[in-house]
Amino acid sequence: MSIQQPADNGTADSQPSATSPGTVTANNNETPKLKTAPPEKPSDIRRRSHIILSFWLIVLCLGLPIWWKTTTIYRADLPLQEMLDWADGKACRPVFPLRISIQANTLQDQEAQNLLRLTQHALDDLNDFSGHHLRLQLAPPMAAENHDRESVLTIRLLPGETTTATFDQYEPVLDITYPPNAIPSPTSSSSSLATYIAGQLRSTFAEEQATISYLLSTNSIPSDHRPQGLSPDVAESLSKRTTRSLKYAPTYHLTFSLFTSGPLPSSWDIEEAIAEYMKPVLDVLSPIHNFTIDTQVQLYATPGVQNQVLNKEDLSSFINAAEWPLSPSIGGAPTINFIVFVGNQTIASPSQSPGEGAIPGSTSHSWLIPQWGTIYLLPLPHDKTHVDSSALKQPLLTFTSHLLSFTGAPQSGSLPLRLSTLARIRSADLLLRASSTLGSLARLALALPSISIPSSVADGVSKTIRHLRLACETLGGPEGLAHARIAEAEAERAFFEKSMVGQLYFPDEHKVAVYLPLLGPVAVPLVMGLLNELKAWRKRRREAAEAGAGKKKE
Amino acid sequence: MGQLLSFLWLSLLSICVFSSSTSAADYHEQLNLRPLPQSALLASFNFRSNTSVSEFEKGNFRFFPRSLGQILQHAGTRELHLRFSLGRWDAESWGARPWDGAREGGTGVELWAWLEADTDKEADHKWLTLTNALSGLFCASLNFIDGTRTTRPVMSFQPEGDHSTTTNMHLLYGVLPHEVVCTENLTPFLKLLPCKGKAGIASLLDGHKLFDASWQSMAIDIRPICPLDGECVLQIEQTIDMVLDIDRSKRPRDNPIPRPPAGHDLPCDTSKPYHSHDTCFPADYTAHQDWSLTQIFGKTMKGTCPLADPAVPALCLQVPESRSVFVSEGVREKKNPDRVSRCFDIPPSTHLEMVLPTPDDSASISVTPEAPLLYAERSFTGHGQERGGVQTILRNPSPDTEVEFIYMESLPWFMRIYLHTMEARVAGQSHANKSLIQQVYYRPAVDRARGTQLEVRMRVPADSTVFLTYDFEKSILRYTEYPPDANRGFDVAAAVITILDPHQERQGSVSGRFAAYTLRTTSLLCSLPTPDFSMPYNVIIFTSTAIALAFGGIFNILVRRFVAADEGPEAGLAVVLGRLKGRLMGLVKGAVKR
Repeated sequence: MSIQQPADNGTADSQPSATSPGTVTANNNETPKLKTAPPEKPSDIRRRSHIILSFWLIVLCLGLPIWWKTTTIYRADLPLQEMLDWADGKACRPVFPLRISIQANTLQDQEAQNLLRLTQHALDDLNDFSGHHLRLQLAPPMAAENHDRESVLTIRLLPGETTTATFDQYEPVLDITYPPNAIPSPTSSSSSLATYIAGQLRSTFAEEQATISYLLSTNSIPSDHRPQGLSPDVAESLSKRTTRSLKYAPTYHLTFSLFTSGPLPSSWDIEEAIAEYMKPVLDVLSPIHNFTIDTQVQLYATPGVQNQVLNKEDLSSFINAAEWPLSPSIGGAPTINFIVFVGNQTIASPSQSPGEGAIPGSTSHSWLIPQWGTIYLLPLPHDKTHVDSSALKQPLLTFTSHLLSFTGAPQSGSLPLRLSTLARIRSADLLLRASSTLGSLARLALALPSISIPSSVADGVSKTIRHLRLACETLGGPEGLAHARIAEAEAERAFFEKSMVGQLYFPDEHKVAVYLPLLGPVAVPLVMGLLNELKAWRKRRREAAEAGAGKKKE
Repeated sequence: MGQLLSFLWLSLLSICVFSSSTSAADYHEQLNLRPLPQSALLASFNFRSNTSVSEFEKGNFRFFPRSLGQILQHAGTRELHLRFSLGRWDAESWGARPWDGAREGGTGVELWAWLEADTDKEADHKWLTLTNALSGLFCASLNFIDGTRTTRPVMSFQPEGDHSTTTNMHLLYGVLPHEVVCTENLTPFLKLLPCKGKAGIASLLDGHKLFDASWQSMAIDIRPICPLDGECVLQIEQTIDMVLDIDRSKRPRDNPIPRPPAGHDLPCDTSKPYHSHDTCFPADYTAHQDWSLTQIFGKTMKGTCPLADPAVPALCLQVPESRSVFVSEGVREKKNPDRVSRCFDIPPSTHLEMVLPTPDDSASISVTPEAPLLYAERSFTGHGQERGGVQTILRNPSPDTEVEFIYMESLPWFMRIYLHTMEARVAGQSHANKSLIQQVYYRPAVDRARGTQLEVRMRVPADSTVFLTYDFEKSILRYTEYPPDANRGFDVAAAVITILDPHQERQGSVSGRFAAYTLRTTSLLCSLPTPDFSMPYNVIIFTSTAIALAFGGIFNILVRRFVAADEGPEAGLAVVLGRLKGRLMGLVKGAVKR
């Protein structure tokens, strides 16, 4: 109302003042039909321009920002370039410095130093992959028998008859015996013993090296960091192994199931069998993984394939997923299924389906389903009601060896070494996974400008990057694994943030339908008013200029 | 006979509770067939298995289903009751409910459980885990049991199991009245059984027949039981009760459309005085019906489950002793001393078929169902979209004993009840009787966060009918809160009526159940004011037009200059027409010139 009041007054003022002189001018101008309105007062003109100006100011300074603020999609700042760098492998060069200590208590200090220098030389000559570096060091001579925690492997040099190498069963220790004449003289530049040690070390870590270089090559790591010379068949076997192994998780859930197609047998001594045949391996794996175990007996379970002889195609459909209660466990830990199926079916021998069908390590009784579990066909007499633990020995030994391949452990070497290798492979794997997830997130944020990015995603990204950096620094150690694990979990959480996809699709037609009914009718008078005012203003200026020119002429 | 039947049910129930003490892990199954009036047949399947608590905690599952066991362990559940029900138990003609109503739920899905938790918040969290996991296991929308559908009953439920060792238990109760129970819920139910649906009485269960029943209820009850001597066991009891219509079942499968029988085929009550060749009073002729197992269930029974305890007969039939029953070869019939029921010993690998021919002397056989302790009906009163009322009619048929019970309602938050309007009135009296309602527990609703919980402890005098009424207000929901079929209405869960056992004090708490009888009313359909769902766009356009009109008017008044009509430039239709005319003339002239 307050705005309207002066305007009303203005028109009320102008009208009487316009009409009464208007009639006078009309009479004077001798054009009685078309009367022109009297000129407006300059104050009225100014007021009108002010009104239009203030309306436009309100629209531009208040309306637009409010509209912008209420409709804009929140996008937290992401360090996109850094994320892409991680994904491209520019931010971190995975390097595994492996320290190997040599214990040579019987050698002179100088002799030992010399041997060490020569061996290191030989190693450096052999090694073509900079990311995986073996560095030798001399253990203090009076160090205890125990293996040094800092180094991954201890070499014990012992005098003996011939040159032999044996791995310790329980500790990462390599015992090398050497004949007395094999000690290199301080001046010699080569030594057969040094070459022998280097060769032993190389073959010990060859598999680990191959696996890590395979992991790097499957990710988008620039080629200069990438080791060369990974032969295709090695790469193929490695790719098979990585597809078979489960995603890393701190806890795995093992489910042992006894399935029979009939009513018998209905009980088994699984607890004793696990304690006897599987527990030792689980104990050894316990620093890296926890395991929870449950068992079940299921009768009347018809398999998906009823053939007497199972071909390779049948193996994939043997699991009757609709009827067998193999629901995954709840609570986050992935489940590995170990199934003993009582039945006298046999698997067609691998010679009939060579190569791709036969998974190495599986006997003719069992097969492995990648990332899922193992099935073992156990033939039993029909009237047997109870499966005792001796009958379960072979199935459980098979399950144990398959468990190692599910966890992704290398296949050769002594068990302690295999496990430390497993930790390193896992940390490299997690690091690369987290990096590539970051890259995907960055690309997603770039590709979809209308996707919302909540602050929790930015939080997750910053946490991931922090832990990735820490993991990269401590790669190869236990902290490296822990950091890589956190980084991977955070990256996954950031990538799969639920609220990001909620308003992803909001079509433009929709927006038009919402905005047009309001903005159309409001904008028309505003724009027209502005245009008219501009026209009037230009006219006034021209007139003023003409008037000025006329005055000048006069 | 009614007393005898009730004794039978009670004794079955007590077998369930006590007999488990014999061994740590065992399995029983039994099917009870009982003809009901009006050509109905009640089939009660009962499956029960145990596992010792130590084996359960170690994760070794034999009879107990692993999938359910894992969920219980993960969610810290000590006792669990899950119900899937469909249809209405017609108490007027069928009489008392099986298991004294202990194994049934209201229409839809009902779940209550005792969870071990230190705080309410932790209990809520575990409840969420439990409902989500069960939802996946049973293919039901149990995950929709959220805070608004969850209550913590105070008086109506008590644990059936033995929980002497755990102290911090929380009872949570959730109900989904809208859930339609169907085959996808039966399949996982059968998967939990040790013999699946492949052998034993479970081989008779078939989705086509089960969900064709007039009333059916599937129940899962898990409770720990500690015998006086020996180890505690965890017991899972799975029950399916269904009332089949024999006429309907006997219809041929390839021609299921019912056709009126010919006049001479109509079973008539010949004792009526007006019975003649052209008038017929339909006889209650279930007792005269001939039926066979194949007709009722569509298939024969495949032997017995080899795991089941042979001491418990797999099949029992409650027909009078005089009626002849033909069974497959090798099956031995054992008549029970009560003269109204018989059981069958079935060899493991027999395909059992049972035929009941039409009896010769119809007069001696008549089915009179046992009267329940209480009849209950609930309905909406009032009119309009703003307010409504609920009226429950409770009738005590007993001539000499009064019934004391707890009436529990868990209402959705959008039904705001006026507690002061709640009153109980004996039929025939005009005033409310204050002494009928003894105790009220009321937890008001919080909009969008929690539903109303109302528990009323009341009594109905002998041989009388009581009206329990209260009013409520319907609230208006937000646009997005309406379900896709909003005009259908909103389901209101069944009221649970728990009749207290008057002898409980005498017996002590040995029986495990404090309730003598449980019944549930039907669920209700509450219609809320439902908007037109194109409303948002209408509102946008309407308000936008109004705003634009007002704005345009004000803006023009402010900006335009007002002059007398003859002073301004010529405007209007005439000017526009004149201009158009001029242009057209110009064009025509140009054309003529060319």
